[in-house]
Amino acid sequence: MDALLLLFAFLIFMFLGIPVAYAMGLATLVTALWIDIPLEAIMLKISDGMDDFALLTIPFFVLAGAIMSEGGVARRLVDLAKVFVGFIRGGLALVNVLASTLFGCLSGSSVADTASIGSVMIPEMVRNGYSKVFATNVTICGSVQAILVPPSHNSIIYSIATGGTVSIAALFMAGVFPGLLFGACLIGLVLWTARKKGFPAGRVVPLREALKIALDAVWGMMTIVIILGGILSGAFTAVESGAVACVYALFCTVVIYKEYKWRDMPKLVHRVTKTVAMVMMVIGFAAGFGYLMAIMQLPAKATALFLSMTDNKYVMLMLINVLLLLLGTFMDMAPMILICTPIMLPVVKAMGVDPVHFGMIMLLNLGIGLITPPVGPTLFVGCAIGKVTMEEVSRELWPFYGAMCVALLIVTYFPGLSLWLPRVLGY
Amino acid sequence: MEWLYIVCISLAGVVMLIMTIIIPYGVFMRYVVNSPASWPEPAGILLMVLFSFIGGAAAYRAKAHIAVATLLNMVNDANRVRLERTADVGMGIIAVFMIKWGVQLVDAVWYNTIAEFPDLSAGVTYIPIPVAGVVTLLFCIERLWLGDPPATSFTFRDQPQLD
Repeated sequence: MDALLLLFAFLIFMFLGIPVAYAMGLATLVTALWIDIPLEAIMLKISDGMDDFALLTIPFFVLAGAIMSEGGVARRLVDLAKVFVGFIRGGLALVNVLASTLFGCLSGSSVADTASIGSVMIPEMVRNGYSKVFATNVTICGSVQAILVPPSHNSIIYSIATGGTVSIAALFMAGVFPGLLFGACLIGLVLWTARKKGFPAGRVVPLREALKIALDAVWGMMTIVIILGGILSGAFTAVESGAVACVYALFCTVVIYKEYKWRDMPKLVHRVTKTVAMVMMVIGFAAGFGYLMAIMQLPAKATALFLSMTDNKYVMLMLINVLLLLLGTFMDMAPMILICTPIMLPVVKAMGVDPVHFGMIMLLNLGIGLITPPVGPTLFVGCAIGKVTMEEVSRELWPFYGAMCVALLIVTYFPGLSLWLPRVLGY
Repeated sequence: MEWLYIVCISLAGVVMLIMTIIIPYGVFMRYVVNSPASWPEPAGILLMVLFSFIGGAAAYRAKAHIAVATLLNMVNDANRVRLERTADVGMGIIAVFMIKWGVQLVDAVWYNTIAEFPDLSAGVTYIPIPVAGVVTLLFCIERLWLGDPPATSFTFRDQPQLD
């Protein structure tokens, strides 16, 4: 009864239009009053939710990604991708996917990826005979890779949602192969579509020009070397690598590329502040919400309920996939991760699923939700850049959903894909 | 309330930039000067709490928080306004909660100190909570009274050119 009050109150407040963070806070408040929990304790939990050094990783990676995004890095990565795949039939669509892989390794954000790569690639694809809708679909689907590959912001949020029991570095490493597999599935679909629709092939970039492009892009790509190299070598913590990445991103875009202007900084800081503060409020109120869930033994009850449905691990993972895909269609990633992890993680752990592997399953499911109506932030940004409606895009997204579901099934049922790299590296 | 928004978002932005400077400073001291500084980490946490609550309150005025508009999009304009006003009242309630119990939290730990900063009261950690509550409440009242900020407001002047 008490647990139902908490969940229903949250749903009612959320559907009234109260921001998700505050809806969680209000539901926590109402339920705490109902079951007579001191509100000081709730307030303390909310504050403690933000009182975690690992959280500093989020503003740093978002800021570094935003600086990279506006400082000309995306365009250089597109040029680099053209060297590798531009000459193949459907080359520009392939370039779009590959550039998203590369930029995802710098931004860690699907929305930033769509905005940066989309603003370069969608107009160029349209000029070369691709439809606006196809160009938009390739862009938004390609950007989901950023959810998986390091430095994914959502991996950090998942690590926080597990109470820090799963390391950020392990999640970063675990995302590498699922991210590449996701990109490969999209590339397979693009190659098939290009052959069917007769998309044009681009030109082969001469060796001298290719070298010049690679040398130009390598400065931007150094960011990922700093982030991963710093963490893997033990020189930096994840937080420090994020902060150093910010400083390097500024150096790279202001001093080396000379494309980022200091006068643009206030706007960028304004935007990043709004985005990150919003995420932090979700994390804080989710801590209070999670505290009540724990008091009411909701995760244990959910585990018992799920286990009563089936004791087959594979069926359970399929059920969780369907549930997460459905939930992901109407809510953004951060709150979904923070609400679902404490409930679902005990269930899958009871069945022997590794928390790192489950993290990848959850991120991929919710990542697909980012491009699914009615609530899909990446879909909205893609539509705005592609100048197409959500209905037009949605009608032609089905083959992409097919490719993404293939990737999801492989990630779900082949744990080695996610776990091999972290294990080899000792996480 | 435009001035209050500008103060809050500027404060949060500056705090974020300070965090971005002090953490690499810690790395610099550790590897270059070979004299590790112990204060950047706890200072970063303190600043993070300040950034989150004050920035979160500003983000409310900017409508930057994640919200589900499914029901709002299904009803007519009059009912939509009613729902939005109800949501604003809900925000007011949570703001009052932040003020009342935030002050109690500050009061409860005021005579304790932070281990890394012995001269600083532990209550300082929690001060941003009631302050953010007051700011959120003022933005709530503004929205109930005057509606959303105009499109020309500073609140929305943060988008880069996408072309």
